[in-house]
Amino acid sequence: MNSHEPLRLVVPATLLDVRAATERIVGLCDRFSTEDRADYATAVMEWLVNVVKHSYAHAPGAQIRICAIAGAEAIELMVEDSGEGMLPWKFEAAPSELDFDATDISRLPESGMGLAIIKSVMDSVRYHSDAGVNRLTAVRRWQR
Amino acid sequence: MLMEDMSEGGCLVVSLKEKRLDAVIAASFREAMVARIDQGQRNIVLDMSQVSFMDSSGLGAVVYVLKHLGHSGRLHICGVTPGVMAVLKLTRMDRVFKTFDTRQAAIAA
Repeated sequence: MNSHEPLRLVVPATLLDVRAATERIVGLCDRFSTEDRADYATAVMEWLVNVVKHSYAHAPGAQIRICAIAGAEAIELMVEDSGEGMLPWKFEAAPSELDFDATDISRLPESGMGLAIIKSVMDSVRYHSDAGVNRLTAVRRWQR
Repeated sequence: MLMEDMSEGGCLVVSLKEKRLDAVIAASFREAMVARIDQGQRNIVLDMSQVSFMDSSGLGAVVYVLKHLGHSGRLHICGVTPGVMAVLKLTRMDRVFKTFDTRQAAIAA
């Protein structure tokens, strides 16, 4: 039995709008601990910002379709866009943990951290593109 | 974007008066901090006690600031909230930044 009705959103692909959408989604997450909620909020924001900055880089204000379902055991998130998307093998190849020399300040990463965050926070995450639609499906259990 | 500066103990204490340091304000935050460094500030304490959320864009801006300071400068962070610590740990940047519970501890370090 779901504790919330599915949340369905269609939001313009702007940073301000995806920030607001992230807050709506995290509003479903009352079963997470404070730490897990913070992790989940970060991961959701990472993907939505990725869509705005990359998939819709040349189509500002295009629409992102979001569905979040808070179930008994987990929360499932689906995000669809019709932008340029990402090559699925690149998504698969992205590491789930960042590896860098913390003592070498000059080579610290300033970007490219989002996919690692998403993969480490979500229990399962799938991404595929088909017929011009890019879809991310991510599941995170309430308790690990 | 709201920031408040205060000189204390030989440091410039910059308080970020925003709830979120994310992709929306990351660029303006970075530019504002770089301006302070370029004006000669080398010892900076960043007070993030009002920031409840940071994403990787915001973190990237903080990393940029650290790089801009280089080895001749110092950037300490205080008032780290659970939301900020989350992204520091997820990215393993908690190994990079020196964080302190209080402003006084960050200044004295």
